[in-house]
Amino acid sequence: MEWWELKGFYIKGFIILLVPCFLSAQEKPKLIPDAALLQHAGSIGYLSAGVGYDLFKNKKGNLDLLYGHVPESKGGTLNVVTAKFGYRPFSIKIKDFAVVYPANPGIFFSYTMGDNLSFAFSQKQYPKSYYGWSESFRSHLSVANEIEFNGKKIFDHKKVKAIVLYSEFNASDLYIVSWAINNKAISFFEIFKLGFGAKVKF
Amino acid sequence: MLNRLKIIYLICGVVLLLVTSCDKIEYNSNQKFDRNSPRNTNSINLQKLSQSQGDNVVRFILLGDTQRGYGESEDFVKKANTMQGIDFVVIAGDISDFGLLQEMEWIVRIFNGLKMPYLGVIGNHDLTANGKEVFQKVFGELDYSFVYQGVKFICLNTNGREVNFDGSVPDINWLNKEVKSQAGVSNIVAISHITPNSTDFDKKLELPFVAALESSGNCVASLHAHDHTPGYYTPYANGIPFIVTGTILKRTFTIITITNGVVGAERVLY
Repeated sequence: MEWWELKGFYIKGFIILLVPCFLSAQEKPKLIPDAALLQHAGSIGYLSAGVGYDLFKNKKGNLDLLYGHVPESKGGTLNVVTAKFGYRPFSIKIKDFAVVYPANPGIFFSYTMGDNLSFAFSQKQYPKSYYGWSESFRSHLSVANEIEFNGKKIFDHKKVKAIVLYSEFNASDLYIVSWAINNKAISFFEIFKLGFGAKVKF
Repeated sequence: MLNRLKIIYLICGVVLLLVTSCDKIEYNSNQKFDRNSPRNTNSINLQKLSQSQGDNVVRFILLGDTQRGYGESEDFVKKANTMQGIDFVVIAGDISDFGLLQEMEWIVRIFNGLKMPYLGVIGNHDLTANGKEVFQKVFGELDYSFVYQGVKFICLNTNGREVNFDGSVPDINWLNKEVKSQAGVSNIVAISHITPNSTDFDKKLELPFVAALESSGNCVASLHAHDHTPGYYTPYANGIPFIVTGTILKRTFTIITITNGVVGAERVLY
């Protein structure tokens, strides 16, 4: 794998990352999160937890920041920091108590900390462009589906606006480049990994 | 009516998720193992090899650098299964490209389609990220040996650059013990990813490595991959041939035959 193959991938990723930042800048700056999250698996930890922000005026976008952990007994020890961007273009209302969002495309970036992982391979140890990828930094494409339960209707609770349950499939950059040159031996579906989570919106 | 349809869609979606979720759960691409990951592939295959009925000729396939060559690997398995008299297959390192569990799982799944046993030897790419631990779980020890029909195969880690040439790789002490004469062993064959004259081999250990093989008195070949270009060299005075197989990415492998201590190498394109 040559270094420039992934470089383009990251540049595109960062441009996409910046878009929601500019869009949200038009609104009032707001640091208090709109949601709290808990997630199982999904490539960012055995368990991860974090906060979420609504993006855009229509609130169809979201930015989630999570910290995840994989214990030694589950294949770690790893600690993961993740920033997710998602968008909910489709919605199906189920009466007044819930909304289903069947397919939410997203992109996210994860940074995994572990004993053997470095952001870039040591230039002292390896000649220039010997290895061209980062062991710790991953870019992911994702598709999530979620069901949002109306907090006021179901729980009659004023502070909890909604409770969201979601599942999310993601494919990391290294899996995508593995699949891209082997689309017969490896199916597209196979490079997507699954996670489940819950959000409390307030 | 419409609402009922929506609920049916929802139920179908949930069922589909549950059905497909079993092997799709991933905690992190750098995790060292998961519930379903294969274990001890080398020892399972060595067990199979010990039960196989051989003849006077030891004949096996040496291939290397399967890294991201899943299509080429599948075609290799099809090709090898049509060949007669192949005792086993050795993947001489760079099984993975990024040292990931998923990559080694894919390779094991593909190579499990072989009719004959196969073994993995560690390569430099397999030592990136958590690859060392992944290899140890999925395949086994980094340095190991086995005897097959009077030939002792010594498979070892020669990827010195991965430890920044700290003098620990290859493990010369271990190698010196392994090459000592042993009952029932008439020849020795070493298999490792990187050739001793490579810039990725620990320079301080080049001559000790060659001397160890020579000291056995019956080392007939040292087999390698890594260069991606096939070759047959005798760079040292002792005349031990260093045979390098081409990469599977270029759809090539090498058949090695050992007949009464004489080694033959035949390159195959597929």
